[in-house]
Parts: sequence; structure tokens; C-alpha cells
Amino acid sequence: MFLMLLALAVFAATYLFIITEWINKMLAAMIGGFLIIVLGIVNQHTAFAAIDWNVIFFLIGMMLVISVLRETGLFMFIAIKTAKLAKGKPLNIMLLMFVATAIVSAFLGSVTTIMILVPIVLLIAGELKISPVPFVITMVLASNFGGAATMIGDPPNILIGSATDYSFLDFIVNLTPPVLVIVGSSLGLIYLLYRKGMQVSNVNRARLMDYNDRNLIKNKKLLYFALFILVAMLTAFSLQTILGLETATISMAAGLILLAVGSRKKVEKVLTQDIDWITIFFFIGLFMIVESLVATGFIDVIAGSVIKITGGEPKTTSMVILWLSGIFSAIIDNVPFVAAMIPMIEKLGIYIGDPSKMHPLWWSLALGTCLGGNGTLIGASANIVAVGIANRNGFSISFKDFTKIGALFTLNSMIISTLYIWFRYY
Amino acid sequence: MQMASFLDARDVLIEHKILSKEQVYQTLVERICRHHQLPICGDKLIELIRKRDEEASTAYPTGIAIPHIRMEGYQDTVVAMAFLQNPIDFDGVKVSWVVLIITDKSSSKIYLNIVAALLKISKSPEQLALLMSAVDGHAVIHHLKSLNIEVKKDLTIADIMITNPISITPDKLLKDLGALMSDKGISIVPVTDSQGKFLGEVNLLNFLKVGVPDYIMMLDNLNFLSSFEPLESLFERQDEVKVSEIMEKDIDTITPDASVIEAVFEMIQHKKRHLSVVEKGKLVGVVTAMDIFTQIVRA
Repeated sequence: MFLMLLALAVFAATYLFIITEWINKMLAAMIGGFLIIVLGIVNQHTAFAAIDWNVIFFLIGMMLVISVLRETGLFMFIAIKTAKLAKGKPLNIMLLMFVATAIVSAFLGSVTTIMILVPIVLLIAGELKISPVPFVITMVLASNFGGAATMIGDPPNILIGSATDYSFLDFIVNLTPPVLVIVGSSLGLIYLLYRKGMQVSNVNRARLMDYNDRNLIKNKKLLYFALFILVAMLTAFSLQTILGLETATISMAAGLILLAVGSRKKVEKVLTQDIDWITIFFFIGLFMIVESLVATGFIDVIAGSVIKITGGEPKTTSMVILWLSGIFSAIIDNVPFVAAMIPMIEKLGIYIGDPSKMHPLWWSLALGTCLGGNGTLIGASANIVAVGIANRNGFSISFKDFTKIGALFTLNSMIISTLYIWFRYY
Repeated sequence: MQMASFLDARDVLIEHKILSKEQVYQTLVERICRHHQLPICGDKLIELIRKRDEEASTAYPTGIAIPHIRMEGYQDTVVAMAFLQNPIDFDGVKVSWVVLIITDKSSSKIYLNIVAALLKISKSPEQLALLMSAVDGHAVIHHLKSLNIEVKKDLTIADIMITNPISITPDKLLKDLGALMSDKGISIVPVTDSQGKFLGEVNLLNFLKVGVPDYIMMLDNLNFLSSFEPLESLFERQDEVKVSEIMEKDIDTITPDASVIEAVFEMIQHKKRHLSVVEKGKLVGVVTAMDIFTQIVRA
């Protein structure tokens, strides 16, 4: 009991630091992670065993793949082409960028997509002499929507995918349909919200249309090779159950092949600059902290009380999980939230017993955490990254600015998800 | 090492007559060749000195001229000097003290330190007057000893830095900075407050970056852009942006008593070609890679 309270105290203190960002969140997670060992809550062996290396190496592999893809100029090509395809008309750019962001993010992850596409949208808005803020906000929403559609799109899904037996295809079958509806309805919302008010002069539009997109692909050979590896990787993900390979093995294989072929002379640069070690160590710290809650039985207690409230009835339980995850993910970063929720859902499985009844619970968790991340400025990593980039360029996006738009789209997406879970699984 | 140790009393010339530059060289060479075994002597040596003179003036504004010959096959350092009651003209500088230094081909450290010590004397009117009052070589050596003129073993940054460096205060506008940079032909300027306290540095790239927003730096490539408005409008922003907004504050500096190797290390380590020399928080000089190159490597 004492150890459980101690673990809870470390957990609460760490999460407080992560939420408030009083210190770097990676540092907070690592301090918390090793504090539980120092305090004797769990021993080092147990804490290290709790680190999900499948997630860690999956992330590293994807970062390697993306590093080489960036090198080819593919992303710049997509963004500039999109803007030109929209004929430089702001509303069209916004709608097309929304779709492009959602698609890229579904396959390469929301945070990366935002880091690559937001600077380009700042440039485009600057050339058109209009405020980039609505563009940045809607792209963040799109990245979290798109990320929700696949196992590899959003950090919460990566964590869920690794903790469960669900394959890449299971995620697509269960999560892509509602996300398509959400993206479609969001485009309607954007049209309603922004169809008026964005005026652009012909001169400024002409500047944009003057962009020379022929030079954007820097290395055609490498691009074709990288695309081939990317498709092979996605195919391997889809055939995971047949191949018997875990996601980390597949993404590392793709990443290492691309690194060896495309960037072998720059290995050091890739390892030091293109791999986001902050995120990697943040995840490692989180796994260790959450393990202390599992080992001391705290998660057990919470799971028990959830069953008490819902009576173990799966339909009610999944609705509670969906909305609880949605609301919590909006208030705190959804990664630490989902890290704590996963062991709880696992425990619920023991109470509920029938494994087939567990499916909607996991999908509710995935949809709730990914979509809830759009609720406020701090809901998901992509939001924080995007606002950071905008702020550094003199376009401040306040908590209120973001939440006003974010909450509306989140509510829309949560209602769609509720209906989806309700009618598909029950 | 005592400065006096490098000097033979017989190699000191105290001259009251009016002599030409040539005559001074001739007398010094005669004396030095009489007392030392030199591989090259006589007219050949005078010719070398004359050539050295043509390359660049050996005179310093303090009234001292220090011709220097690096001699193949000579393993020592020898100094001869002439004190002239009637100063002679060295390319417009009135020189009353000519010091001829002959060293071996490779080592420049002792030579540079002797020059540093000589220059220090020439900057002090009292010390210079004392030496000028000497009646013969023995008196000169005696005075050098009594003044305790040391030839330092190792060169420090203070010996090679540019003193009274150009600096700018943080409240100045970009256009002032731009004018300063183009007038003086410098690309890095130390920033100090009005009391000379070192605050940081500002360089040409900081200046240009005003026209390049952060998001541009995050793009993977820029080859689709042929022009970019913010960079073109940099000219207009020159009147708004202050030096304080673009200067770099966390700058590695060096102290005047640091060794030359320390400066070279800093430069290579941090890929900098310019170091601000700071003593007790105040900017006292700057040293550039080119200074080290010309004054040490090529000296």
C-alpha cells in the first residue's frame, strides 16, 4: 500500500512536470523513471523489462526512413504541388493541405508531418500575405485525424499496436473508416468557417504560381528507391501476421536499408540530428514510470473501480473509455495518458474475460486518445510542435485561438466515433 | 630571458653624425660580421636587408625600425642596434633606433618576443630616453639590465592582438552596423556597452538572417524559390532592428594572457576566425586567424 502511494506520488509529480513543462518533458520522464528504482518501488530489472523495445525501435526505424525521404525532396514537392494545384487560392490550399497532411501523417506520423509541412505553409501564407494561423491550426487537426487512421500514424496507436496483438491491417479495418468520415466532415466545417475573409491579390498569387517545382526532387534515383522501400515496408506491415515479424523489425529493416543506401556517408549526421532522441528517451521514461503503477497494483485498483461503475458491461465501458480518453487527452499530452491507460485496459480484459468483447475497448481507446489530442493546444505532440514553429516565426497562437477551433472539430470527431463504435460493434 | 643577453656591447652603435639608411646598415653589418660567424656576410647581407625593406617597411610609428633576416644554416639569434642622434626617414617615419635581428630559418618565437620587448621599450618615452642617453654599448646593456627588460619565453594573445578594436553598442541600429562593417571591411564586430564591457558579438550572417525567417531555415531545400521578399526588404528593416536583437550573447572569448596555441585551438574547435579578447569583463582587443597567420606562421 505504501509503495503504491509512493509510486502514485512519483507518477503525479512527473506528469505534473510533463503537463506544465516546468522542465523538459524528457528529463521529467527520465527522472521519474529512475526515481522509482532509487526509491525501491520496483527493481531495475523489472523497470527495464517494462520498456517496450518494439515501440522504441519502431520509432527509430521510422525516423531513419523519414530522414532519407526528406533528403529526396519528396515532401517539399508534395507541399508546393498542392499549393499550385489549388491555384494559389487560400481556401483551396487549406482544404488540399488538410487532405495532404492527413494522408502523409497516416503513414509517417503526425509529429514528423507537422515538422515538415508547417514551415512550408508559413512560407506560402507569407507569399500570399495572409495569416498562416488558420492553416497551421487546421493542419494540426488533420495530422491528428490522419494519425488516428493507422497503427503507425499517431504515437498512441503505436503504443496500442505494440501492446496488443492487433496487426497493421486490423487498425486500418477498424479505424480508417471512421477517420475518413471525420476528415470528410471536417472539410465541410473548414469550408463553412473559412470560405469568406481570405483575400489574395493576383500579384501575390502569381509569385506562388511562379515556384519552380521541377527542381524540387533532388535525387530521382534515391526517391524511387526510397518509395520502393516505403511501399515494401507498408506491405510488410500489412502482411505482419503471415511474415511473423514485429513492427520494429520491419521499420528498422527499412530504415537501415535506406540509411545504408541513401545516407551512408552521413550516418553520423542522421544519428545525431535526424533521430529525435528526446522523444525516444521520453518514451523510455514513461514505460518505467507506468510500470511502477502496474507493479504496485494501482492500475488493478483503478480497473476494478471502472468495472464497478460500468458493471463490466462492454458497451457502457467502451463509451466511458472513448469519452474519458477524449477528455483526458485534450487536457494532458495523449502519449503519457495512453501509456497509463494500456495496462488498465489489459486488466479490464481479465475482469471481462471474453477476449472478443475487448476489441471495441481498444478501438475506443485509440480513437479517444488520438482525436482528443485535438481538443486543446497541449493535447498532442503535433499541436505543441506546430505552435512552437509558428511562435518562433512571430505568429503567436494562443491556447484560446487553438482551442476555439480545436474543440469544435474534436466534438465533431468524437460524436462520429461514438456513433461508429455504437453501431459497428454493438 | 634578459634582453641584454642577446646583445654584444660591440654590436651597439651610438651615432652623432648624420647617416643615411644605407650607411647605418653598412656599419651594423660590418660590426656583426666582425664578431660573429655568419654564413652570409658583407654586401650579400646588406642586399638581403634591402630586399626585406622593399617587401614591407620595417619601421614602427614609435620611431624604431627592426629589419629581420632569417638566415639559412645559422643556428642562433644575434642582435645589433644603432641609436641615431639624427633620425633618418623610413618611408615617412622618423627612426632614431635601428635594430637588426638575425635568426635561423625556422624559429620565430624568440624573434617575435624580442620584437615585442623592443616595441614595449619604444612605447615608453622614459625608457627610450634612458637608452638614447647611453654613451656606449656597455651603457646600453647596463640600462637594459637595470630596466629589467625581459624577452618573454612564450608569446601571448596580448602580443599579437589588435588593441583598441572597433566595437558597437547594442542600442545601435542595423544601418549603423552595416555602415561600420562596410567602412572598416569587417564581418564580425564585438558588442560592448558604453563603458567597454563585453556583451557579445554580431556578425554579417546575423545581419543577413534578419531577412530570412526561421521557417525558411526549416525547409529541406530552396531551389524552387528564385526571389524572396523578406530578404529583399532587408534594406527597409535596417532602420527598425537594433544590434541587441540580432547579436550573439554566449560567445567564447579569450584572455590577453592566453597563449597563441590556445587561441588557435579555440578557433579550430569552434570554427571561428575571430576571437574577442576580454579581460575582467572588458573588451581589450580582437585577434583573428589572419593575425596569427601573418604574425606567427608567415613572420
